[in-house]
Amino acid sequence: MTTGTGEVAAFRNVSKSYGRVKAVNGLDLVLRPGETVALLGPNGAGKSSSLDLLLGLREPDSGTVELFGGTPREAITAGRVGAMLQSGGLMSDVKVREIVELACKVHPRGHRVDEVLATAGITEIADRRVDKLSGGQEQRVRFALAVAGPNDLIVLDEPTTGMDVSVRRQFWDAMRAQADAGRTVLFATHYLEEADSIADRVLVLHKGRLIADGSSAEIKARAGARRIGFELHPADGAFDEAALRALPGTVGLDVSTRADGVRTVRIRSADADAGVAALYRAGYYPRGLEVTSLGLEQAFLTITGEQDRTEEEEEASVR
Amino acid sequence: MTTLIRLEILRTLRNKRYLMFTVLYPALLYVFFISAYGSGGTVDGGVSVKSYFMVSMATFGAVGAVLTGSAQRISLERKSGWTRQLRLTALPGRAYTLGKIAACAVTTLPAILVVFAIGAIEGVDLTAVQWAGLAAALWLGSFVFAALGVALGYAAEPDAVQPVVMIVYMLMALFGGTWFPVGESLKGYARFNPVYDYNQLASFIHGDGVAALPIAALAAFLAVFTAAAAVLYRKDARRA
Repeated sequence: MTTGTGEVAAFRNVSKSYGRVKAVNGLDLVLRPGETVALLGPNGAGKSSSLDLLLGLREPDSGTVELFGGTPREAITAGRVGAMLQSGGLMSDVKVREIVELACKVHPRGHRVDEVLATAGITEIADRRVDKLSGGQEQRVRFALAVAGPNDLIVLDEPTTGMDVSVRRQFWDAMRAQADAGRTVLFATHYLEEADSIADRVLVLHKGRLIADGSSAEIKARAGARRIGFELHPADGAFDEAALRALPGTVGLDVSTRADGVRTVRIRSADADAGVAALYRAGYYPRGLEVTSLGLEQAFLTITGEQDRTEEEEEASVR
Repeated sequence: MTTLIRLEILRTLRNKRYLMFTVLYPALLYVFFISAYGSGGTVDGGVSVKSYFMVSMATFGAVGAVLTGSAQRISLERKSGWTRQLRLTALPGRAYTLGKIAACAVTTLPAILVVFAIGAIEGVDLTAVQWAGLAAALWLGSFVFAALGVALGYAAEPDAVQPVVMIVYMLMALFGGTWFPVGESLKGYARFNPVYDYNQLASFIHGDGVAALPIAALAAFLAVFTAAAAVLYRKDARRA
């Protein structure tokens, strides 16, 4: 199913600018067979640009993009890639069945039309005109076009935009079935819970650069995945901020002091279990102790925020 | 590729606006011209009104069918992203354009034949060979405008394409003998108007022999429009 190198897709130092805007900046990335990969990033992070480059819809200014060891166009012609774009329009004046049939016929190893209609959950709207569909239905037709044949890689750009919650769940069930069949899936999304629950690898793109790459647990850990919160009363012992900072797993520390001397402490920790254990061992008496998990969303904001700060500092030091 | 071409033809025939604009409208204009000029009259140095306007309305409908069918649709589908979606299939890049041209080629036929039918009823008297030859000549000539339509579809932005197509279409018709014969003083310039050359293809039914010069001119236009369409297509593909 895959090439000898075991690479589905590879970006090698790829950059692309539009005018003065660097949409993609030195991207290095390899996708391996069978992965379900989420591409995260705020608007304008370069998600769609990266997917365009991956699919050969645009040429990089520098660097190379490979799909299955060849050019994107070769992979598409060989019927190894299916894609659903945000900006992918549909033919007007045709029925759903007709456009799906077209996709099945032009695919070198296309599935049967009825099969694809069922996979995408659009059997009941097969005789509707494409121009009379709702946004969510249109998305499912686009999905049908992406799975019209046994593609090894499926690329989806914000696939669930315009779908309501139940349809979205159905959609991801269909998508998981694709992944379970051994296909590599790459999807861009801004719904973080989708990335969290579906992807086994998460890429965070920010200002055209890849700033994080790992499982969603790893991304959360990097951001300090849990928050430990408690109060320290002056009666219980002396306060030593440096000791708190030295607790294992501490990523961030925030202390505020009330007028009565009670301190509220919030620690972002990559290893909350060890942190809490060490806290007691150090002789503290934390009151109202709470350990809460940070969602991927919080992690994502933390990481992109850190990146912005680092860049500002770099710029400041250059000046 | 045949699936795409078949679908392109089907959807064009399904579009009611197409039928109104390219089949019904020229046919009605034809009837109007016959009554306005008088059915027994002649124009343009002795050509009967009936056969003159039969040809000019057939070409008017054919050019309209082809320009809207290619230019407008290509431009709109570039905007909607359908052309991008097609580039993610195994179809070769030329399939899309070929599909459009094939759909145009099929849809010009009703435009031509309906006007011919009215002409025959009104008493235009041609031999079977002349009818067939005229239909073939006008059908083949429409490919020149299909190429122009493809070029315009890739050149004009979606918001601008409708007025651009309309202006080009109407100017060519106005100075090409569509609504009234081109005056003697303007005929030298009219040769550079593809619609005029297109109308001249019919000269053999008026006993003037085969129109070699208009054929050569149309061939030249076809070459230029095709080259322009190819360049503009490649430019668009790079921009995606």
